[in-house]
Amino acid sequence: MSFNLGSKASCSPSVLHDFYRWHWRDYSFLILKRGLWSAVGLWLCLLMLTGLSLSSGSQSLTPLQALLAAFGVGEPMNVFLVQELRLQRLVAGLLTGFAFGISGCLLQTLAHNRLATPGIIGIDDGATAFAVASIVAVPTSLAPPMLALGGAATAAALSFGLSGGSGARGYRFIVVGIGVGALFGALTNLMLARTDIDSANAAYPWTVGSLNARTDGPIWALAVGIMVCLPLMGYLARQLNTLRFSEAVACGLGVHLKRSRMLTLIVAVLLTALAVAVAGPVGLIALVAPELARYLNSYKSVPLINAGLVGAITMVATDLVGRTALSPIEIPVGVITAVVGGPYLLWILLRPDRR
Amino acid sequence: MESGRCLLVPILIALIILCLATLSSFLVGAGDVTPSRALAALFGAADEEAHFVVFELRMVRTLLGVTVGIALGAAGSLLQAATRNPLAEPGLLGVSAGASFAVVVAISLGSSAAGLHIWVAVAGALGGCLLVLLVSQVRGVGDDPVRLVLAGAAFSSMLMAMTTLLLLFDQRTADEIRFWIIGALGGRSAEILSWTAPMILCSLIVMLVLVRPLASLALGEKIATGLGHNPRLTRLLTLIVVAFLVGAATAAAGPIAFIGLIVPFAARALVGTDIRRVLWMAVLLGPSLVLVADVLSRLAVRPYELPIGVITAIIGAPVLVAVVRSQRMPSL
Repeated sequence: MSFNLGSKASCSPSVLHDFYRWHWRDYSFLILKRGLWSAVGLWLCLLMLTGLSLSSGSQSLTPLQALLAAFGVGEPMNVFLVQELRLQRLVAGLLTGFAFGISGCLLQTLAHNRLATPGIIGIDDGATAFAVASIVAVPTSLAPPMLALGGAATAAALSFGLSGGSGARGYRFIVVGIGVGALFGALTNLMLARTDIDSANAAYPWTVGSLNARTDGPIWALAVGIMVCLPLMGYLARQLNTLRFSEAVACGLGVHLKRSRMLTLIVAVLLTALAVAVAGPVGLIALVAPELARYLNSYKSVPLINAGLVGAITMVATDLVGRTALSPIEIPVGVITAVVGGPYLLWILLRPDRR
Repeated sequence: MESGRCLLVPILIALIILCLATLSSFLVGAGDVTPSRALAALFGAADEEAHFVVFELRMVRTLLGVTVGIALGAAGSLLQAATRNPLAEPGLLGVSAGASFAVVVAISLGSSAAGLHIWVAVAGALGGCLLVLLVSQVRGVGDDPVRLVLAGAAFSSMLMAMTTLLLLFDQRTADEIRFWIIGALGGRSAEILSWTAPMILCSLIVMLVLVRPLASLALGEKIATGLGHNPRLTRLLTLIVVAFLVGAATAAAGPIAFIGLIVPFAARALVGTDIRRVLWMAVLLGPSLVLVADVLSRLAVRPYELPIGVITAIIGAPVLVAVVRSQRMPSL
């Protein structure tokens, strides 16, 4: 994959065929065709889902009504329904899905393993354990995100530290992560068993993974976190693109290995923790979204933003199914993703044409 | 092979540990009956309450712990020998999850008979075992211990989610299952013991027949075949025995993870990798571990009790990490 933009001759025609090429005086600009169209498709998909999610529920509205109501136009009842209830839920779903998708993509690239996602290596469980601790001990609305951050960082440090550092350690790293996750899961159960029933009920949603009845504080924290991480991700995407060949190649191309690894880990942990503080552990989004995004991109770069978009789409779509499919019973997002994700995980492990 | 003399000391140690664990299980509890009162009651003092607690409640609980511990310890050792994978553990590979899911389905369909639960649990465990067998037959996965565990984790998490889904629809079942699904020894009736104990005993007898072929399997498939054994048949039979052991244990106490990982690990550390020795030790160490974990679960959050699965996970996670980190792992 050489990108010699200056002279046409050095690019092989077959490579150029995959790009749109734009000129402006002496500058030319290549855009991956498939990447462009998949991004457009994803945005359209997201838009449609937004409309659907706002308009469907216990009282269905037409998409137009819902859209107007979101801006405060229409019947007061509808405005209340959309603005107060559904909009918050939608935003929570979009943001958490985006965060899970991106952090999954980052960790997979970092560990050279498509199974290395926050949910599987125990980061979700760590964040959950600490968030539950904050509910049980310090019941304030902003405490969960902060403590979830601490838990996620602890779990990540344990997983990476115990498996002997990051890098291509194969599956050993992941089983260590499963162990760490089991430990934090046990701690969560311990705390839930110990407290009085009211605190336990308040903490319970954190252990399942659902978008139901969220407070505003964590959502704002997540939004701010994503805004902070976006520029960092722009920087990291370049580094990771070279890092996925091998360490020697990346070093030769001038990547500061240690620093970019550390940054990647920090961003992934930050996003996971904030997302868990909003929605609880919905681990499998982080597994599926980057895979789909890579498939859509065809060029084997690291599709960070697309992974985030796919994550957001998956999250909102799953939530939509969960609250409409069997209404009035609501199925938490975490349950649906686990039921669907189990077979998917098995398929990844067992398919014969693995690299 | 080393001489039998070396086996004597570890077995004595294990026996002493088992006796101490059993005694503490009688003496220690979350309620008002203190160890001294319990001890007095054991020796026939006229203390109505202590007598009831020790001989009715803690007795059933201790016996249950012993049977469950034997079953899980032996099942873990057998499964590890059959798959030649030091990480194979009924809880990690989805065998327990299969059993518990089957029981949850049965309960939600309205069954409440203890005997039926056991057969249902065995059927579920058999399903889980078959999946393990299937997965380890796929090329490349059987040789990689860690990928097998991942497949098991995927299977377990899926079944757990399906259980949650089931409970969402059915509040009555949810109430009944809530305490069973986390795995605990307390509050079980003596009736369940009369079902599980014979089943586990029969499985152990069948296990004796399998020990020799399994030991030869450790030398590799070719040598085992050369010695006149049929590795495929051995595997299949072993998995069936494991299904019966895990199914009975799960029906009795709910899913308790990590026992089948810790026990063979400790047994191998004490007596080496020979499956015949490991099994002897596992049958002794399994009950000790379950009883110790149970006693800890009574003490940890007094006056409440903790699910025993929490304690075993806290002990087991470091062991899992240790096994994965140990250099010898791929060879068993």
